Amino acid sequence: MILLEARGLRYRHAGASRDALAGASLSVAAGEVVAAIGPNAAGKSTLARLCCGLLSAQEGAISLSGTPLTQLTRRERARRVAFLPQNPPHDLSFTAREVALMGRAPHLGLWSLEGPHDLESARAALEQFDALDLADRPVSQLSGGERQRVFLARAFAQEAALLILDEPTAALDLAHQVLLVNALRRKSRDGGGALLVLHDLALAGAACDRLVLLDRGQVIAEGSPAEVLRPEVLSPVYGTPVDVVPNPGTGQPLVAPRIAR
Amino acid sequence: MRRSAAARAAFAVTILAPLVVVAAAVGLATGAGELSIRAALQGREPDATVLFRLRVPRVLLAAEVGAALSVAGVALQALLRNPLADPFVFGLSGGAAIGIAVVTVASGSAIGAVATSAASFLGVLPAQLAAVAGAMAAALLVFTLGRARGQLEPARALLVGIVFNSFASALVLSVEAVLRPDQMQAVSLWLAGTLGYEPMSLLAGAGIALVVPALVLVALAGRLNLLALGDEGAAALGVDVARTRLFAFFAASAAVGIAVAFTGLVGFVGLIVPHAVRLVTGPDHRVVLPASALGGAAFLILADALARVLFRGLGAEPPVGAVTAIVGAPLFVLLMRSRA
Repeated sequence: MILLEARGLRYRHAGASRDALAGASLSVAAGEVVAAIGPNAAGKSTLARLCCGLLSAQEGAISLSGTPLTQLTRRERARRVAFLPQNPPHDLSFTAREVALMGRAPHLGLWSLEGPHDLESARAALEQFDALDLADRPVSQLSGGERQRVFLARAFAQEAALLILDEPTAALDLAHQVLLVNALRRKSRDGGGALLVLHDLALAGAACDRLVLLDRGQVIAEGSPAEVLRPEVLSPVYGTPVDVVPNPGTGQPLVAPRIAR
Repeated sequence: MRRSAAARAAFAVTILAPLVVVAAAVGLATGAGELSIRAALQGREPDATVLFRLRVPRVLLAAEVGAALSVAGVALQALLRNPLADPFVFGLSGGAAIGIAVVTVASGSAIGAVATSAASFLGVLPAQLAAVAGAMAAALLVFTLGRARGQLEPARALLVGIVFNSFASALVLSVEAVLRPDQMQAVSLWLAGTLGYEPMSLLAGAGIALVVPALVLVALAGRLNLLALGDEGAAALGVDVARTRLFAFFAASAAVGIAVAFTGLVGFVGLIVPHAVRLVTGPDHRVVLPASALGGAAFLILADALARVLFRGLGAEPPVGAVTAIVGAPLFVLLMRSRA
């Protein structure tokens, strides 16, 4: 089952002088965790937004679980793909539990009233992200990492097969990064899948089944972490020399920029 | 907070409904003259007339207008993502004022006289229709000019509203220069916000008319919650942000228009009631909307009762809009500080 199939996406932001995406393609199959990596302005976040229908591509086609995105209503789309933006709002007076429950919105009826199953999904999602003890605190009072976990819980509570997470680990400490990776693995074992936008290449190498390297709106390389995370691939794209060594514990590729002393 | 939104909304209504009843009892019992409720209920005059022709309609009017303004305030604050948004910083009041002023001037002319008789045949006053039309026109203006790249931009819309209000008050001031003293008195009373004595049929009509925007807003309540996540966050959860804003905006405008048509500009209700309610219930609109409707009804009934007794010794009565502002302004500052 292919959860996400994107072909030949071209997108130019209003008033921009070049395409943010220039013919990029990518897919996420059920059971897969895929990361889009690349330097700043490579088009990663634009790709994420296109794939969940927040922007519409000027060229190209996207389908979710086999149905073209354009044929899905907004709510159907939101039941198939959950999106976590890079900077979720920080001044919410809603509690963590209420925010997690917002993930249930695409499943609710006319009056937006949640049932026992919705309450339980939100609770389980908060628990999964070690945020149950934050449940009754307003999100505006939480730290950056706590808030990020609450928004991750919201994305998981949505129970969409596909997760698209933009920089999900930026505010997380190491233990909670591992927590997220394990949650994503569980999700993909259960037939789900995820597309992550990542800057942390070490995490990309350890956590993902497949990497898509973007540069200036195009896919430069695609494959397993061992195939993509190579100095001769990364150095020209990032414009700085990088070294890749195997992690002594796991053998997974570890990427480090070479910084002269 | 662990209970569902439906349970919390029901709880808030159970607490607040008796409060409205108490407020109504206070409103019925206060007034310029002494009134024996028992005598009125037994049909003895003049008590029966005072109760059923004067006080009951007045309390009903206060309840309807208070509820309408509060619900509209909640909606505007949600869709502009700004806690300071209220019907009266938003141009709606200015639009209504222009409508009233124009009708007052026109009523001196032949066309105005024809329009007046036609409208009173329908059981409404031309000034009220003009106020609704003015408020809706202002809403349309703010909604159009407040957009950028096809989306309503909260900060922009708020600015347009504020600028339009200043423009409208300048316009009304200019119009007042050509009015006769008695017309001017009527306009300025209306601008200050006054509860009058309306016939029961009109009150019933207004009550039914208010149910529509109220139901629209309650149905949108879940989506208004999601707007707090930002336009993109809401859209990612399946919300049609533009349509939600449009519906909420015009439902709020309709409620304000109806309220303003009867009472003129009663400020602070739409600002202070939602704030006070949120302090207790939290920000969930599925609870805040019904709770604000009841809270607003109680608040305006009590403010009107206060207005009636305040200068009773002098045989005068300040406009209720002045009372809501006098009570509301310090209360608002207190609420702001208690949140900080």
